[in-house]
Amino acid sequence: MFRLAVKSVRHNPKRLILTAIAVALGVSLVAASHTFTNALSSGFSGLFSEIYAGTDIIVEEDPEASDDAEGDPFAAVEALFTADDVAAIEAVDGVDVAVGGIQVAGSVLPPATDEDSSDPFGGAGGPPSQLFNWAGIPEIDQSTLVDGRGPEADGEIVLDIDSPERLGYALGDMVRVATESGVTELELVGTVQFGESNSLQGATLGYMAESQAIELAGSPDYQGVNVLVEEGADASAVAADIQEVLPEGTRAITGEDKVAEQTEALDDVLGYVDIFAITFALISLFVGAYIIVNTFRIIVTQRTREFGLMRAIGVTGRQVRSMILLEALVVAVIASTLGIIAGYLLALAASWLVSIFVGDIFGSMTLPLDAILWAYGLGALVTLVSALLPAIHASQIAPMEALRESATSGKKPLTTRNIVGGALALLGALLVGIGLYADFERPYIWVGAGAAMLVIGVTLLAAQVLVPMAYGLRTLLTRMFKVDGKLAANNIRREPRRSANTAAALMIGVMLLALVATFTESLKTVVTAQFSQTSADFFAFSGQGTMPPEAIDIMSEVEGVELVTSIGVGSVVVDGVTRSLGVVEADTIGEAFDYDAEPPLAEIDGGVYIAPPLKEAGVEVGDELTLEGPEGTETLEVTGEILLDGDANLMVDWPTGESLLGDVEVFQSLIVLEDGVDTQEAQTAIQDALAADFPLVVLQQPSQLEQFANQFIDLLLGVISALLASALVIAILGVANTLLLSVTERTREIGLLRAVGLKRSSVWRMITVESMVMAVFGTILGMILGVGLGVALVLALEDFGFDGATVPWLWLGVYTVLAAIAGVLAALWPAWRASRLDILKAIATDG
Amino acid sequence: MTTTAAPALAATMRDGYKDYGHGEAAVRALDGINVDIARSEFTAIMGPSGSGKSTLLHTLAGLDRLTAGSSTIADTTITSLSEAQITEVRRKFIGFVFQSFNLIPSLSAKENITLPLDISGADVDQAWFDEIIGILGLKDRLTHLPAELSGGQQQRVAVARALVSRPEIIFADEPSGNLDSRSGAELLGFMRRAVKEFGQTIVMVTHDPTAASYADRILFLEDGKIVDEMREPTADRVLDRMKQMGH
Repeated sequence: MFRLAVKSVRHNPKRLILTAIAVALGVSLVAASHTFTNALSSGFSGLFSEIYAGTDIIVEEDPEASDDAEGDPFAAVEALFTADDVAAIEAVDGVDVAVGGIQVAGSVLPPATDEDSSDPFGGAGGPPSQLFNWAGIPEIDQSTLVDGRGPEADGEIVLDIDSPERLGYALGDMVRVATESGVTELELVGTVQFGESNSLQGATLGYMAESQAIELAGSPDYQGVNVLVEEGADASAVAADIQEVLPEGTRAITGEDKVAEQTEALDDVLGYVDIFAITFALISLFVGAYIIVNTFRIIVTQRTREFGLMRAIGVTGRQVRSMILLEALVVAVIASTLGIIAGYLLALAASWLVSIFVGDIFGSMTLPLDAILWAYGLGALVTLVSALLPAIHASQIAPMEALRESATSGKKPLTTRNIVGGALALLGALLVGIGLYADFERPYIWVGAGAAMLVIGVTLLAAQVLVPMAYGLRTLLTRMFKVDGKLAANNIRREPRRSANTAAALMIGVMLLALVATFTESLKTVVTAQFSQTSADFFAFSGQGTMPPEAIDIMSEVEGVELVTSIGVGSVVVDGVTRSLGVVEADTIGEAFDYDAEPPLAEIDGGVYIAPPLKEAGVEVGDELTLEGPEGTETLEVTGEILLDGDANLMVDWPTGESLLGDVEVFQSLIVLEDGVDTQEAQTAIQDALAADFPLVVLQQPSQLEQFANQFIDLLLGVISALLASALVIAILGVANTLLLSVTERTREIGLLRAVGLKRSSVWRMITVESMVMAVFGTILGMILGVGLGVALVLALEDFGFDGATVPWLWLGVYTVLAAIAGVLAALWPAWRASRLDILKAIATDG
Repeated sequence: MTTTAAPALAATMRDGYKDYGHGEAAVRALDGINVDIARSEFTAIMGPSGSGKSTLLHTLAGLDRLTAGSSTIADTTITSLSEAQITEVRRKFIGFVFQSFNLIPSLSAKENITLPLDISGADVDQAWFDEIIGILGLKDRLTHLPAELSGGQQQRVAVARALVSRPEIIFADEPSGNLDSRSGAELLGFMRRAVKEFGQTIVMVTHDPTAASYADRILFLEDGKIVDEMREPTADRVLDRMKQMGH
């Protein structure tokens, strides 16, 4: 049986080539993603070892005790350890050295130049700087001195060996360092090398004396303590002892454990990358399944007489079925093997590309075992499941079929198909609706399952749509392409199931494209709407996260500036739930930004405004809310509401914010200019005023930000389109595959047409028209579904500021044109074969 | 292309050779054939299996190329034409009736009949069309698909298709081979009428003496050579001649 299956595959490999390519493409995504993430993981665990392994024990904030899970992830690590703590740790038995570590939030700037810097990003662009106190112990600093000497006194700094040249400093120069308190100049006294290869991916690394670090950080406390144990001491035992003397919410962990912990955390993230890639691989394989089903269906029809003969000489139906499934398995194994090889090469190429831009962050590129298992597993599963129905069909062929004149498939009515399809489509749409609009735990499961059912349902229904459509198209195509068009329309109508399945494979990819395009276009509308809310001329940000108050004062004193209003952020606890809090200057905010608030924010009157999440929690205007902040607790009246979601949950005015949060961290300031002031000149003036002390403050015009946001959205669309490319390529291969098989099936017909005078070019055109109709039909179906789902999704997210969906007409037009072109390309091989058919052989073919 | 006002010969072949394969395995299917097909005549080609009769039909019709020699259709020498030009000649001057699979399954009877005209973009001569389908008795069958027609009806549709463009010559390859004797006789009767009443030229390959007896002239083929010719044949005379050939 196995030999028979292998022989059958070998005897006629052409008809299975495209099927195999389809499977291989899907599988290669899986293999590539696994190989890629595996290499990343090993690369980073190497890096982590370099960072942490030199230190025996690390004392730091306990991540589990940290409660600011919802807080600002970019906030600097809190300083938790006093000098006394460090002394206590050093006193523990087995500890050789304990050194407190301070990280200074700041940036090393290039030397000041006289030229006028009109670059809006100023010195804030580029990789960040990492500034620490210098311990002078290589295991703790993780760096070794290369040139000069270590920083011994205030006013001195050392940088990593690559940075001075890049920034434009030499030993002895004064290095400009920007921190929250302004720009400080420090003398460059030496250079160091980080780890073994100074691989910092472009970041600047700097060290200064402890007293200097304390001065710049503005706090005498340490964020962590690095410990070296005495010769022969057991690090984990010492770590346990250190734990005893530590303040609450901190921990001692050995360097080795820290490496393992970080690697594990990274692997978790990479696991998501894998899931993401596998999702797209599954979409590809789902599309591939359509092709496999079609191929095996057609093959079974073509071999009806062969199977009938087998049955006649005593082969059981079950044996016929196993034979076809074995054939499928042979194809799956070959295709998966090719897919794994292709995937490995793809991962190599991807890592090479990434290395060019980011530097070498990869470990050895090995093909992990799970990649191989996943690849073969998915490849075999998809192929076998897809071949199952055709195989069952083949096993039911009666011996009598061998004797029949021709192998035309029975004209079964489409009734069952329509009923099943309609039911599936309705149920799918219902599930999508439930997922989007009902409040369930995991809506995406509902939406995903619903969408899959909808797709299969529409696929089944498509056959019914195709029949009258092809009929209608016949007149049009006949007018456009004469008899070639008529024949093409007929061919599509003749095998509605096959044509529908082929078109539907393309439909899936296009649906997802149209869905994403609808979403992103609508998102752009939101962005535009958001920016139209602002009447400010500039947004001001700081490279360090929060705007220094002095910088705000400087900006408001620049000539031409009418007002500067700032927005602060923080978090408070309401009824046990941590909520984000926005702080605004109630009397001026209205001049710069039109929050969609009812009534306007100017009427906040010392109360609090609520956003939709709190309304959903049952809070109403007029209620009293108790806000617990880090610095105080206030019970406030709800005096209004913010109508749009996506901003802070709660909004208070500045005095209330200060009593809750203490010093409010300003995350951005809005600048309004006086009438008639030139924006460019004002920007230069403000930037100049800030340049001396606050070079990290960045001014952005709303239009620039809007442009940036739109570019980001386009990038998103681009990335997803690229990931869907393999599904689309597979679908196009499917069109080619179906046509190729049906050309084989219609050999005699084509021969006859040629005999009565149809030219080669006409045959070519006939196949091409057929291909284009299928491709465009699939694309249109996909666009209808995709836009429909996209609109449903956008409407479901109305709370986030989506104000109605935008149909991406431009993209839809582009997709249609691309589909027609794809149709022409897909027809190349089948049309070439059809037009080259030997007429004599064609009319002599049996059956 | 040279065309005279009224060519007497619809098709000719001079010193026609056709070899299949190369070297040791080479088979000579046509071995120096000289033949003239007169206009308005019903010619039958007979011979035992492997005598080369189908090859002769295919090469005359431009479906296959001669290894050596030349042939003409309506005074056009087709042996030197390109593939596209031969297709053009077939479209303009030739009609075909095959033994089976004569019709495009997705086209109705009517569409199958007018297919050659559709392909060349010519208009249908409605009077002529009506006359043909009247004679062939296909009036009620025009909207049917081939699958809905009997074998005899299918072959009659094929004959109608061959006739509709008034080709210079119709080539028929065992047109009645798959039919029962009554339908076969009917079909051959129609073909004969077409020759007699409309002056249609027909060349038919057959191995059936009864079918051949409908022709005006029979060419007997053996081992790729024309070995005999018979005018005004009857089924009995044909059978006798075939027996001599050891058939």
